[in-house]
Amino acid sequence: MGLLSILRKLKSAPDQEVRILLLGLDNAGKTTLLKQLASEDISHITPTQGFNIKSVQSQGFKLNVWDIGGQRKIRPYWRNYFENTDVLIYVIDSADRKRFEETGQELAELLDEEKLSGVPVLIFANKQDLLTAAPASEIAEGLNLHTIRDRIWQIQSCSALSGEGVQDGMNWVCKNVNAKKK
Amino acid sequence: MGCFFSKKSKRKPEKEQAETTTDEEAPKQYSWDKREKVDPKDYMLTGLKDETVGRLPGTLSGQQFAIQDCENCNIYVFDHSATITIDDCTNCRLFLGPVKGSVFFRDCKDCKCVVACQQFRTRDCKKMEVFLSCATQPIIESSSGMRFGCFQYYYPELAFQFKDASLSIFNNNWSNIHDFTPVSGETNWSLLPEDTAVQDCVPLPDTDGFKAVRVSTEASRSIVPITSGQRRKNSDESCLFVFFAGDYTTANARKLTDEMVGKGFILVQTKEVSMRPEDANRVFHQNAEDYTSLIEKGPVVALEFNGEGAVEACRSMASDVFSSAKVYVSENKASACRDVDNFFNFADMQMGI
Repeated sequence: MGLLSILRKLKSAPDQEVRILLLGLDNAGKTTLLKQLASEDISHITPTQGFNIKSVQSQGFKLNVWDIGGQRKIRPYWRNYFENTDVLIYVIDSADRKRFEETGQELAELLDEEKLSGVPVLIFANKQDLLTAAPASEIAEGLNLHTIRDRIWQIQSCSALSGEGVQDGMNWVCKNVNAKKK
Repeated sequence: MGCFFSKKSKRKPEKEQAETTTDEEAPKQYSWDKREKVDPKDYMLTGLKDETVGRLPGTLSGQQFAIQDCENCNIYVFDHSATITIDDCTNCRLFLGPVKGSVFFRDCKDCKCVVACQQFRTRDCKKMEVFLSCATQPIIESSSGMRFGCFQYYYPELAFQFKDASLSIFNNNWSNIHDFTPVSGETNWSLLPEDTAVQDCVPLPDTDGFKAVRVSTEASRSIVPITSGQRRKNSDESCLFVFFAGDYTTANARKLTDEMVGKGFILVQTKEVSMRPEDANRVFHQNAEDYTSLIEKGPVVALEFNGEGAVEACRSMASDVFSSAKVYVSENKASACRDVDNFFNFADMQMGI
């Protein structure tokens, strides 16, 4: 334990810092979610070319959220961000049925990653504001989430645009921040 | 220890038990649980060949739309929507009305389109021509032979549809494309020749119903001002002209553009953006205080004109035609160059993440 962490403990009630990794296919709504969490304007969001980070205070935690670009070409770079992740948030465009298989595949590969072993995962079934969005239950079934045995997980329907459902998902995150399984 | 779900006992009694098909925590009711279910097929065009199809004004009203597996079709979406995906289409000609979110082309080829959107994305596409109005930087991935021009289209309902989609006609990044898969020695995208006629790419509708929409592809009537963007500038003289928020800002900007273009100047770029007092200092320097109260009224509309004598032409327009409007115009050719850089760099930063 270094001097800095001893000093931190001596300070009265320092917020626990939590590292959150925000992943998902391109166009899933990750950056909109990030901006929503930070209570910022979401009307003018540009496709992410690298990554975005924001720090958000929530329920006594300081959440450091890393939003990484999801284009197919740059997914190999996701592994550069795995280390020390406390919670993984995986975002799915619930209305893009054509890419359910692809997003399921990417999620499955993530859950197989050594560096993410045991990390709790929140799956946001996003874009529920769209009329043809598949409900979370359908997505959970299609992704076989019930077969996840090596970590705690939750699926949460939401609309990052309106904010509905987002806080419920983050409540789960904050409750399970220290639930990383060894 | 198997999967662990949130404790049911912590659920508040007033949360309704929604129907669950999995044994996760019983979800509370959200707005999407309560609304009427729709048939996805009503918001989709799929498997069509050699047809003219689409949606008339007022029939989509901000909902999402999907187009897939179409060949040799003319597709006119004459309404605003939430998001549009276009998959596996070949040799189609499309008009996509203002989209509040993203337009995403996947596995398409030989398509020509006119599109207005917040985000423009492609993946695995080939040989497409796009007349684009995009609020953010367009991106392409694993695509080649992509050619871009400035959005150029009019029909009476279109201006309101832009507003409904929260898109500004002055925020159009049509010419600076980001390629996620550049190939050394080649370019996957380029700009369409300036004199390309839109109706040669996307024909005017000629079937009943769609014909009733009074479309014009004339440059002077385009709802989105035609900008030269990243095209090479003819002159090293540019001028910044800024209209502060007011009742006639849009009309004034159009009038100024018509007059300047009529005199042979080029409209390079436009931006509609909110400024804070500290931004005024950075952009307007000396006379910043004069503008502080003006910028608080709402977003400004800024235009860059290029051509020899642009500054003089703009200044005389300001005094002759817009004497009662609140404006800022570059003082002289030397300061104009700085003005343009200062303003548009600020705007780009403001509008990035």
